[in-house]
Amino acid sequence: MLPPFLERALLAVVLISVNASLTGTFTVFRNASFLVAGAAHAALAGAALAIIIEELGFHVPVLFGGLVFAVIASLSAGYAGKGKLNRVEDLNTAIAVSFAFSMSLAVLFISMIREYAARVWGLLIGDLFLLSYSDLKLMFFATLTVILISLLFYRAFMFVSFDPEVALAYGMNVRLYDYLLLSMIAVSVVVIMGGVGAILVFAMFVAPPATAVRFAKSTGFVFAMSFLISLFSGLLGIYLSFQLPFSPGAIAALTASSTYFISAFLKK
Amino acid sequence: MVKAVKMDENGENYGKGRKAVEVRDITCAYNGHVALKDVSMDVMRGEFVAVMGPNGSGKTTLLRAIAGIVKPVKGEVRVYGSISYMPQKDYVNVNIPMKVWDVVAMSILAKGKKFRWSVKLSEEEKKAVEEALRAVAMFELRNAPFTDLSGGQQQRVLLARSLATKPDILLLDEPFNGVDLPTQEKIINLLSELSNGGITVITVVHNVSPLIHHVSKIALLNKTLIACGKPEEVLTAENTLRAYGVSIPVTVCEEGYPHPLFGDIHG
Repeated sequence: MLPPFLERALLAVVLISVNASLTGTFTVFRNASFLVAGAAHAALAGAALAIIIEELGFHVPVLFGGLVFAVIASLSAGYAGKGKLNRVEDLNTAIAVSFAFSMSLAVLFISMIREYAARVWGLLIGDLFLLSYSDLKLMFFATLTVILISLLFYRAFMFVSFDPEVALAYGMNVRLYDYLLLSMIAVSVVVIMGGVGAILVFAMFVAPPATAVRFAKSTGFVFAMSFLISLFSGLLGIYLSFQLPFSPGAIAALTASSTYFISAFLKK
Repeated sequence: MVKAVKMDENGENYGKGRKAVEVRDITCAYNGHVALKDVSMDVMRGEFVAVMGPNGSGKTTLLRAIAGIVKPVKGEVRVYGSISYMPQKDYVNVNIPMKVWDVVAMSILAKGKKFRWSVKLSEEEKKAVEEALRAVAMFELRNAPFTDLSGGQQQRVLLARSLATKPDILLLDEPFNGVDLPTQEKIINLLSELSNGGITVITVVHNVSPLIHHVSKIALLNKTLIACGKPEEVLTAENTLRAYGVSIPVTVCEEGYPHPLFGDIHG
């Protein structure tokens, strides 16, 4: 029998890999990789606000506050980033601005609750070996939701990312699908981050699909290879952390991001 | 503001000799910048129309307004029949390694406002995808990733995608950009065939010469509609001067078609 903390860590690696494969790939296809970091930091402001509200006597879960803010930040970026010709680079500028906005808000809120600041930052810092069952349960349901939405709206997400203009001309509700996609990315990022920490999420959501795209001959390949790269990175992290005094998350993140740079080198 | 109205084909407005597109006095603007001003034109069913004008003259905007992507701030567009729109390749995200077949099938799956739960194509739809790919000579490459294709091949796949839904009205934005000459000729012949078969083709082109023998009408734009009508009526020294700021020499070929010589203008 495996010790329970290890069981939970392994299960978490599988869940992260599913999210990296689905959310991560859609994020890269949508040219919105920066949204992963943007949503994560927007969550800080939401978490701080949740604590402020708690101080006033109403209980709001910190993670819930984070989720609401991350979704709002993603949607505002999506709204502001729609240029007249739906150019993709507009979105990253909008995410950058929304990033700055929510970080300032986070600093403002945290300054109001100095004594609890650690709880806010705690949202960014997680550890594969310190996961609780309730963390895992939440990650599981978020992953289930991501799978369901991805299956149902696969072609809509693809069309909206590939060619929003024409999707619109064919009568698709492009805005609605785009907002659904951006919200799904935000939820997936924040829930996984709440469990395993921000660094691992940044590395796992972007590097594996971005690596896979370089070699891809089909979209299915990107989904499959992203899953395998993040699974391998996660397992390697756990394995090495037993041999050496290293944090498993850091090793996993290093492995995943290294594949990106190595693939860039190989493809040159 | 009058909203652009799309109308489905009905008995009244069907068949050759009937209107396919009515553009009524439209003005379009982006963030307060007027891109197109007071444009009115009619396009009949089965017509082959070339839209010309200098850069920034509103050619793409006119197509976008007809496609319903941009709502005019003034005026009205009426469309009788189903539409396919082919954008310039630059507006497409070429980082998604979708298979050529799936790119073409995309238009069929997206057609109509109703959400389609099944992504499986019927036999008939598969045939439509195949025909469209064959028409642009891309069927052999149907399993290749879109990302690996050359610019001209990508252009042809996008054209196939707009053909696959078998539209009544085909709107094309610079379909010949980056396309080699033999393919260009092939596409022109295909469009000409389609228009003879009753499909309305409206295409934005930089250089009209290669298709001048086929087009029934030219719309010359420079923010406003400078002229619209038969090629020989539109391509006059006065009109090209108003559109381009220089008068473009026009030679008449043996068969009597006017060919504007854009290459002879410097700058």
